[in-house]
Amino acid sequence: MTSLRSFIRSVRSTKTIAEERAAIRKESAKIRTSFRDPHLDESHRRKNIQKLLYLYILGEPTYFGQVECLKLLVSPSFSNKRLGYMAAMLILDENQEILTLLTNSLDNDLKSPNQYIAGLALSTLGNIASPELAKDLYANVESLLNTSSPYLRKKATIVAAKLVKKEPDLAEVFIEKIPSLLKERSHGTLLGTLQLMREIFLQDESSHDILRKLVPGVLAHLRFLATTGFSPEYDVKGVPDPFLYVSLLQTLRYLLEGDESNPNLEALDDLLTQICARLENSKGPGHAVLYEAVMTIFAVNSDSSLRVMGVGILSKFLSLKDNNTRYVALNTLLSVISHEPVAVQRHRAMIVGCLQDADVSIRRRALELTFAIMNQQNIRMLTKELVQFLAATSSSDDELKTYITTQLTLACYKYSPGIDWTFDTLIRMLEIAGNFFSDDIISSILALMMQNRDAELTKKAVRQLLNASKVAYSQFGLAIVTIWSLGEYGDLVLDSQKVTEASEVDVLNTFLELSTFDETSKRDQIRLYSLTAALKLSSRFKSSREVERLRKLIDSSKEDTNLEVQIRAIEYTEIFGEPRSIKKGLLERMPPPPRKEHEGAALFGRSTAQKSVSEPAKTGDLLLDLFDNDDSQADESKPAEKETTLDILSDIFGTTGDNEKTAAGKKVTGNTDILNLLSGSSPSAAPSAAVIPPTTRSIPMAEPPASLPTPIPAYNDSTISVGFVPGHVGNGEATLTGVVKNETSSSTVRGISILCAVTKHQELELSAITKNTLAPGAVATLGIKITGKEGSKVKLRIKVGYEIGGENVGQQFDFSGITERL
Amino acid sequence: MTAIIPLRKPKMCNVIEYKDSKLVYRRYASLFFIACIDNDENELMTLEVIQRYVEIMDKVYGNVCELDIIFNFELAYHILDELIIDGVMQESSTSEVLKRISYQEQMEQSTGIQTVYA
Repeated sequence: MTSLRSFIRSVRSTKTIAEERAAIRKESAKIRTSFRDPHLDESHRRKNIQKLLYLYILGEPTYFGQVECLKLLVSPSFSNKRLGYMAAMLILDENQEILTLLTNSLDNDLKSPNQYIAGLALSTLGNIASPELAKDLYANVESLLNTSSPYLRKKATIVAAKLVKKEPDLAEVFIEKIPSLLKERSHGTLLGTLQLMREIFLQDESSHDILRKLVPGVLAHLRFLATTGFSPEYDVKGVPDPFLYVSLLQTLRYLLEGDESNPNLEALDDLLTQICARLENSKGPGHAVLYEAVMTIFAVNSDSSLRVMGVGILSKFLSLKDNNTRYVALNTLLSVISHEPVAVQRHRAMIVGCLQDADVSIRRRALELTFAIMNQQNIRMLTKELVQFLAATSSSDDELKTYITTQLTLACYKYSPGIDWTFDTLIRMLEIAGNFFSDDIISSILALMMQNRDAELTKKAVRQLLNASKVAYSQFGLAIVTIWSLGEYGDLVLDSQKVTEASEVDVLNTFLELSTFDETSKRDQIRLYSLTAALKLSSRFKSSREVERLRKLIDSSKEDTNLEVQIRAIEYTEIFGEPRSIKKGLLERMPPPPRKEHEGAALFGRSTAQKSVSEPAKTGDLLLDLFDNDDSQADESKPAEKETTLDILSDIFGTTGDNEKTAAGKKVTGNTDILNLLSGSSPSAAPSAAVIPPTTRSIPMAEPPASLPTPIPAYNDSTISVGFVPGHVGNGEATLTGVVKNETSSSTVRGISILCAVTKHQELELSAITKNTLAPGAVATLGIKITGKEGSKVKLRIKVGYEIGGENVGQQFDFSGITERL
Repeated sequence: MTAIIPLRKPKMCNVIEYKDSKLVYRRYASLFFIACIDNDENELMTLEVIQRYVEIMDKVYGNVCELDIIFNFELAYHILDELIIDGVMQESSTSEVLKRISYQEQMEQSTGIQTVYA
């Protein structure tokens, strides 16, 4: 058998990827064969495990070696045991049943008189503990907290924290140990004890008062660090043990956040002042501690002079050259803005300056902060900067552009200094970043146009749009808004020189034939909008020659390759032939939609978690609300939001269902069906039917965005997982989004079907699943709406079927993980 | 991850927002050390932890380089296990970690001999 060294050499000496794969595969096969030998001796097993770990480092599968690891770690030889435990930590994880086989070995070794053997067992337990292991072995850890060996005590404290995390009931057991542990001098044990305190605090609410009583003990250690002299063992660049420093501050921050009646506040404030003063001019690790101290100041309700000092430190960070400190400064300013808005505002210039930074991490933070400090007074000035930023940023910032267009549009709603200015800004944005508007934001802009009652302003805006789109015709958002405005207000802006009926038809013709958009869905959307605009204008134009051109324009799309466009063209041709009196009512100008409050999005972290739940519901259905149709409200899941703009088209016909019936010459029964007919691909109509096969959709469903909140898990068989994201629950109905994810690392799951049932007294509506084939790691969603008696519980029985590797799998499970009631 | 980080310039900040976590990295010549942390963790401190790990490796291996780690990755993991458990720093004294590592390395040697002669 070759050694590990020669295996590593042989892999490294390969010249191509194929050769490397071959070398790895060969060795992997050898290891498997060798594992099958029942008489494998220990030295060979050791070599195999070593190689297995190298495979692990290369990212190769290693599951076949799991049992062998367990065999190796029971070896009496220390080196084999050490390797065995190390391998167990790396290639096992807490989800595997094989862990139960580990219980016995851990139990034995935790009792070992040799502290290094017990140490190995502790490290292993700390890294891969499962709830079962926690229950079985907590007593061992508890007794190790009392051991005389500081080496084991420090490890045991961290392991205890891990066990509490896995099994919160254990908090009771370990909390009693904390007072004596907190008296320790050893930095290692203190680090672990503080972690244990934080974990218990997080897991067990009843612990809060007990732990808060221990604050003086934590403060004593902090005071010692803040006043102590030089200690060569722990100092880092002149800062006394920064690791312990940060851990102490962090613990205080956890324990005292939001605690209104904190008897130690004054002592803490004094100490924080002292720490900040002492470390103000330090570098490196000093900044890390200072940063933690500032976060503590804002978490524990410190005195206002201290808070102002905190903002001062952050602004100093901002002015430094080191990008890491600047990054954390921007990040922290964002979280303290609610405490000290005025103090943060003072540093506006510096924040805006960071928008120009070469580093995307800094730019992202600066952007989010810029929006956070935006208000009525500074919106003009900040918008100028942002528009400049939009115009200047490179293609690598596409994500940021969408973020800016969204946030700035929302800000225009909220802080606008005047509608005149708002239109100017929005049109300018459409012009330079028209390809980076989400559909619901475009809807909002259209809504804003409709709400505007000043006819002169509308005329001015439409003229501006027409001019802009002549230059920037490849900006999708601009095109959509222009075409739509043309359809609505085209007759208002006519003058005898520049804008004539003929020139407007020319514009529509140009858009209809435009081929600058790579994505067919965008191209089709533009065509659909153009057709509607043409139809609308036809009832208002005076020149019969231009009306005839409009007819031809619609007629020419009858043979479009897209079914949707084709259907629309044929329907519109029918309407075109109707008498003027019918057409006039049918093609009336849109009534203004009601105003909606919008919530902002966050670029990252903190706020996304809560906000993204409500966001799709709030911004998405702005236009859906227009047609008075209950079904449209039902599907608030992401896909609906994506395609709301299509619904504008259906809206146009919303008021005139009866005429439409004859015009389209199809057998229809009412308003709902017409909407279905005209917006064939709009998922807003989907909930009316229980299950729609995905193939009937002509426009591909949008991927659920990455920001989809973490679903409540309902089922996981390591091939797929199913979870639910609760949307609106209450008033006798509940909307959920089902999330199906492929959990495998390399297999595609096909033919996914989901069937749901609710209790007898409730009714259920399901939308189709967005995708029924999932690549590894991919996610599909489906919308669920439950209606029933108010106050009843949400309970679902789910049948899921799928195919993997040619095998059909069917599973049934129940879900009742939602605590809110109807 | 491996596509983004090496492309970043030396002066850029060492934090990247990645899904719902943050990646904190530090580069030493051609070696990258990357840690994935929660959102509310102290990024600057994470950089110090990486620095500490590298310092200790430097002492144990003696001027550590890529090949040292590749050919003796076991040792690199052992050091990490004496510094961190479950993502939590367990020892803030460099000399203490070094002492524990060297004891255990000695134990490996001696038990190795014992098993040969046993």
